[in-house]
Amino acid sequence: MKRFLDWIDDRTGIAKLTREALFESVPGGARWRYVWGSTLSFAIMVQFITGIFLWMAYSPSATTAWESVYYIQNEMSYGWLLRGIHHWTAQIMVVLLLLHLVQVVIDSAYRAPREFNFWFGVILLFITLAISLTGYLLPWDQKGFWATKVATNLAGIVPFIGDDIQKVIIGGSDYGHHTLTRFFALHAGVLPGALVALIVVHIYLFRRHGITEAKPATRAGALYYWSLLGVVFGTLTALAFAFEENTKQWVPKIVCGAFIAILVRIGFLIRSGKDDDSPTRPKRDGMFWPDQILKDAIACAAVMGAVLFFVFWKGTELTPPADPSQPYNAARPDWYFMSLFQMLKFSAFEGAFGLLIGAIFVPSILVTAIFIMPLIGQSKKGHWINVVMLYSLIGGFVILTAMGFNHDANDEEYKQGVLNAHAEAERLNELIDINGGIPPEGALTLLYNDPKIRGARLYAANCASCHPFGGTDGLGGKAKDPSAPDLKGVGSKKWIAGLLDHNRYVSEEYFGKTKFSKGKMARHLKDIDMLPEDIEVVSAALASEAKVYGYSLPEGGQDFIDSGFDLMFEDFECADCHGIQGEDEGSGPSLTGYMSRDWMIDFIGDPTHEKFYGKKNDRMPSFLGAKQEDGTMKAGELSRKEVELIVGWLREEWPRASE
Amino acid sequence: MTAEKPEENQAAKTPSDQPDETARREFIAKAVSVFAGGAIVSVPIGVGVATLLGPAFKEGQGGIKIRLAALEDLPGDGSPKLYQVVAERKDAWTKYPQKPIGSVFLQKLEDGGVIAFNSSCPHAGCSVGFKSKEVGYYCPCHESIFLLDGSRGDPCVSPRGLDSLEVDKERLNGGEVWVTFQNFAAGIEEKKAI
Ligand code: FES
Repeated sequence: MKRFLDWIDDRTGIAKLTREALFESVPGGARWRYVWGSTLSFAIMVQFITGIFLWMAYSPSATTAWESVYYIQNEMSYGWLLRGIHHWTAQIMVVLLLLHLVQVVIDSAYRAPREFNFWFGVILLFITLAISLTGYLLPWDQKGFWATKVATNLAGIVPFIGDDIQKVIIGGSDYGHHTLTRFFALHAGVLPGALVALIVVHIYLFRRHGITEAKPATRAGALYYWSLLGVVFGTLTALAFAFEENTKQWVPKIVCGAFIAILVRIGFLIRSGKDDDSPTRPKRDGMFWPDQILKDAIACAAVMGAVLFFVFWKGTELTPPADPSQPYNAARPDWYFMSLFQMLKFSAFEGAFGLLIGAIFVPSILVTAIFIMPLIGQSKKGHWINVVMLYSLIGGFVILTAMGFNHDANDEEYKQGVLNAHAEAERLNELIDINGGIPPEGALTLLYNDPKIRGARLYAANCASCHPFGGTDGLGGKAKDPSAPDLKGVGSKKWIAGLLDHNRYVSEEYFGKTKFSKGKMARHLKDIDMLPEDIEVVSAALASEAKVYGYSLPEGGQDFIDSGFDLMFEDFECADCHGIQGEDEGSGPSLTGYMSRDWMIDFIGDPTHEKFYGKKNDRMPSFLGAKQEDGTMKAGELSRKEVELIVGWLREEWPRASE
Repeated sequence: MTAEKPEENQAAKTPSDQPDETARREFIAKAVSVFAGGAIVSVPIGVGVATLLGPAFKEGQGGIKIRLAALEDLPGDGSPKLYQVVAERKDAWTKYPQKPIGSVFLQKLEDGGVIAFNSSCPHAGCSVGFKSKEVGYYCPCHESIFLLDGSRGDPCVSPRGLDSLEVDKERLNGGEVWVTFQNFAAGIEEKKAI
């Protein structure tokens, strides 16, 4: 074995390289505060590994990107875990980068001769952010699509060349295949390549200058940091228990466990010392291997633990596929860009010039400020200027971010947007299951053919301006100024029973705001004054014509239904105006097949048909077109398919997993 | 590659005790290698960059005329209604016969005319929604408000009001609403088609 190793070493010089890499001296001994760089390298490595495996399953095109990510997330074995680790490590990486930057500035580790290393580090920070930004789009879901649209539009306002930049980035003037291929090449090729090259230089320079020795560790210092950590975790524990119902059961336990561990550590620290300023250990130089590496490894394990914690707790979101014609009220960038996003809301950045300042100049100035830190920080005073600058930057970042999230937490439209997106994504998963896969045109076609999703959208767009749906617009938004019957549960026995009650018939719930509230039917209902038991029987009879989803025979069976029809014919004289069970049609809407699928399609198609309201129709459009007085046909606003989808939704007839 | 050039020049110019001829030959050899090397590498890079920048020189697909509704289907009270724009579209290699590409608000005016707005926010491109006749339109991204006539409300960080789209007058007289659907560059004052 030894001879074999020597043989290799002879030809490669690897032994020397390894020795140099591992037996670097760490002045003042290994320290926890030196772990950040290593955790970052670790996080980047995790991203490379998971990224490459994701690459093996991802397909960048407008009809396959979402679909392949769906497959990774839901069908590939452990795909959800792979994607989860990649997603959450990216989030944690940004945090680690910021911590690393803060530490470097506080320790003034950028002072001569380390300026170049600082600059490379800052460039690395921006490359990482660029990788995150491009990665956000790759699932080609609503969230990524709208955020990217905003980001690329902002790139488009750069003076003179903005237009061209934007077109080059998105690969044309429309978002599509080439936006994805370009973003993917940047995300997985160009930027990581640059990242690796710069990291090599960064680490080379770091090794060349050696570690920046921090002040010797003291017990007081350690106590300070551990107490800080204790406060953070204490707050998290309190929050976790306060919102216990909204989260997974084990979450508060784990957070609380970490908190207790920190308390124990603080306890030991307090017990161990005599004099508060005494160093925690004798100051002697340590070796990178194994002293520092052990600490690094533990820190990396903690990072991995945190990543897994989030993967299991929060999961990894995949909103519905990108659709430029489908408004998305929850369009937001990832959290680390939230501060910039929030800033653009201020009136100081109003208008084209303001936007230019807020979106281009201010960020550029901040970047420049960070870049010149090593030049400012050569003197003691300069160092303090830097520290203050950094803390104000971070303060601004935190405040703006908090403002942004706080706004969203109180914004009903935003919350509804998120809810709808999740409901749609869930429904889409179900549809893919039912269909046994995704059609070649992409997953969006499944949504577009689904009564539950598309029917509701069509209802909101075409019907809800008059007909509320359980008080909403059909999509959970507030109904605006309704003027026609609420159609939630239309055709069910309950809905029909309400219609037959005179008081409710003339109320806003049904026809209160139409001319029918003073019509023949309203008067007739008042005259016949049906008893509750009559309403029960008649509504059961009519509901048996409708047979909406979930219909079952009433307790009395067919006889009960027949008695309902008898009442309608004999006692209540319904047949005077209405056609019933195929009997002669009258002046009122036909009750033959009342509220059945075909009846509803025909009715929505043309309520002015003599079978329905005829000339007495009040404002309701003929959605499938109608014959006009001069005999010509007037086109309707919807296609038959669309009306079918609306009817399917109202009758709750949509594909279900169990069927 | 080319960055090395000045250095090479300098090296060639340093006085030496070698005969002039040798120095000259050496200089030529260095210069030629640098230029040849640069030229060779610039072939793949140049071609690559040319394809990358291609879209900057291509015009967009421009506006498309599309029927959205019949005039009488628009709400009579003048409140806007959102229409989805679905059209034939080519995206790189794929030709979609029916692709959702955007959405448009239509609004009937008192004089019988119709105005149409692209629902894409002129600030940075989020989708604008309709709040109420009193408030007008609202963009959920940076909270801009636009009045019912599309002009900027208060607050509004957008540099211009909503982008109106051309409505075909003749067809409108025939009771049909046809609109030229088009997208415009966001974030600037000028309404510039893309
Ligand atoms: S995108 Fe509409 S306000 Fe910014």
